[in-house]
Amino acid sequence: MGKILVVAKREYLERVRSRWFLLSTFLGPVLLLTVIILPAYLAIRSQSAETASNVIVLDVTGTDLGRRVMSEIIGSPMNDTSVAVVRSVTAQALAEAESTATHDVMSRKYQGYLVLDSASMQGRGARYAGRNASTLPDMERIEGAVRQSVLMMRMQNAGLDAERVKALSDVRIRLATERITDAGRGGSGRFSVAFAFTIAFLLYTSILLYGQSILRGVIEEKTTRVAEVVVASVSPDAMLGGKVIGVGGVGLTQVGIWAASSMLLLRFREPLMERLGMPVVPFAMPSMTLGTGLVLLLFFVLGFTFYSSLFAAVGAMVTNDQDAQQAATPVMLLAVFSIIFLQPVMLNPTGPLAQVVSWLPFSAPIIMPARLSLISISRLEVGFVLFGSALSCVAAVWLAARIYRVGILMYGKKPSLAELGRWIRQSR
Amino acid sequence: MADLAISIKSVTKRFASHTAVRALSLDVPRGAVYGLLGPNGAGKTTTIRMLLNIIRPDEGTILVLDSDNAARDVLDRVGYLPEERGLYRKMQVKRLLRFLGELKGVRSRDLAYRIDRWLERMDLKTPAKDWGEARIDELSRGMQQKVQFIGTLLHDPELVILDEPFSGLDPINAQAMKDTVVELKRDGKTIIFSTHLMDNAERLCDSVCIIARGEKVLDGRVATVKAEHGGRHVALAVESGDTDTLGSVLASGQLVKRVDDSNRYFELELADGADPQELLRQVVASGARVLRFELVQPSLHQIFLQRVGASDIEEGITGHG
Repeated sequence: MGKILVVAKREYLERVRSRWFLLSTFLGPVLLLTVIILPAYLAIRSQSAETASNVIVLDVTGTDLGRRVMSEIIGSPMNDTSVAVVRSVTAQALAEAESTATHDVMSRKYQGYLVLDSASMQGRGARYAGRNASTLPDMERIEGAVRQSVLMMRMQNAGLDAERVKALSDVRIRLATERITDAGRGGSGRFSVAFAFTIAFLLYTSILLYGQSILRGVIEEKTTRVAEVVVASVSPDAMLGGKVIGVGGVGLTQVGIWAASSMLLLRFREPLMERLGMPVVPFAMPSMTLGTGLVLLLFFVLGFTFYSSLFAAVGAMVTNDQDAQQAATPVMLLAVFSIIFLQPVMLNPTGPLAQVVSWLPFSAPIIMPARLSLISISRLEVGFVLFGSALSCVAAVWLAARIYRVGILMYGKKPSLAELGRWIRQSR
Repeated sequence: MADLAISIKSVTKRFASHTAVRALSLDVPRGAVYGLLGPNGAGKTTTIRMLLNIIRPDEGTILVLDSDNAARDVLDRVGYLPEERGLYRKMQVKRLLRFLGELKGVRSRDLAYRIDRWLERMDLKTPAKDWGEARIDELSRGMQQKVQFIGTLLHDPELVILDEPFSGLDPINAQAMKDTVVELKRDGKTIIFSTHLMDNAERLCDSVCIIARGEKVLDGRVATVKAEHGGRHVALAVESGDTDTLGSVLASGQLVKRVDDSNRYFELELADGADPQELLRQVVASGARVLRFELVQPSLHQIFLQRVGASDIEEGITGHG
């Protein structure tokens, strides 16, 4: 038993000491923040920015709809200093006016142009073309402005007083969400979705990254023939076991550092956000009991063991990186398959799809934790899925060990499926 | 039995398409230098891997240092240097050696001391430079081989198994390897090495076993083996330029069964019933100026050729290395 630990210790220390570990531990959260927070932050910032209001309105309606829309967009009555432009054009001159506007946008004088025509008057639609056409907040704002203006115009035409229309139609709703589970209410709904996503992604990326790391390690041991020295001292099974334990320990260390630092960040987030000049939005952490934490940890361990032993087996099958990429594809696909189903599962965490993919042995360790942090699942089901994952884990380790102990001493070309079958049946 | 370091009894190992080792039995006395000889693909590496319990035989038993080689800890008393050498490239030398030592169950507190002594002994640690602090890939190839050798011997094994220890070594390192084998023997260790270089084996080994196609061809003490095959071999040397005229004499199957032609030096095996006196007469009659004509014991190389036959030696076998 002691020798498994010698192997595990080496795998652990060599990786934790590496620059790569330091870098990924510190850059990982930065990257995650960039991916999740930055777009939201930019979206908030851009609402006060000028991109939405720096547009040309081409008004073909012959009314003052264009001016109304523009006022709505910039949030104040138009004056002469405004950068916004409303051009009243006739239907015949529209094509020419659009091409002029296109040139204005191309020469970066304006962000884009909006065409208001009879369809807009009837409340059916308006057209927009511009650089920011795919910026959702901008488009929502312009769309809202058109809707509001058409509505106000119709009401005024129906004889209502302008001020009164304004007062009546000024409705700005923001939906505050809260989650209710079997255990009661708690936490913001949106936040728990983000939390579940983060958990699933963390599992997925660490499984893939460390799985690849094991794969490369095994190939190195094969090509340098270190494997032969090691298996002359320990059994191949112990070598494989030590590897999975050691590298799994690295993954746990990293996730642990991330979890600890996020907790610190959450604790001090209010003064921090004030410093950064951001509005302090109160939110409640999704309540996580020790039990849930333990189950998440178990899923991480099982998922990690399942995938990393398979990656190790792939490493033992090949002798160079090109073959490795090819041979690792089926294992990668299993993981990718799991993450592809994450989004549909999150949208409907109680549906049949969610049920199925959280039972499949290879996707359960990624999907189940996400579902767990989203909805409450009966202990019985969690227990069963854990048991099933543990069984498939044992099967994967068994299979990997059979392949590993033959493959680690084989050089040359990648084995065919038939040969692989022989390896698995063959005794040592 | 206590005087045997290794006892292999009728061991067979089959792989999917062929039998790598067939009914092999051999005994290695303690304290001996033992050579496992054979062409590439003869089953040497498979035999060594079975000795080390890396692979299991399909049939037969293997005793290493009086224990079943699957028994716990017995392999901690064995040192192994594989044919193709390599180390973790990114690891620091000392950490790597510590890892290899721990794998063999050396106590942690002894390791630092042992590693330092070995690094000093191999000139890898001098007052000017301590290569122990360097990473493996910063070392020259020769230094890496030294580190690997330290890894093999760090745990002070009773039995040392070297798979093709001389392949890929330059003459200086090959000499160092030979010196070390002799030193190990003086320290009372048992050394087994496989090789296809017969000259090395002949000079170093107390006993040898020749295998071909997975089967034992012969084994025993080198002196005995040579004596058993002696008396029918002739060493012949002639002046350069005179070799052409010899052709027809040596080609006659009546007197000479086999010739190892090294241009100016010939090692001949006499045909059955042929008289060496008659051979000498014909050589002189051919006009060649004879520098040497001697009845000798055959070299291991000759015995090997004689017993294994030419069909097995096309690839990989070389007499002189």
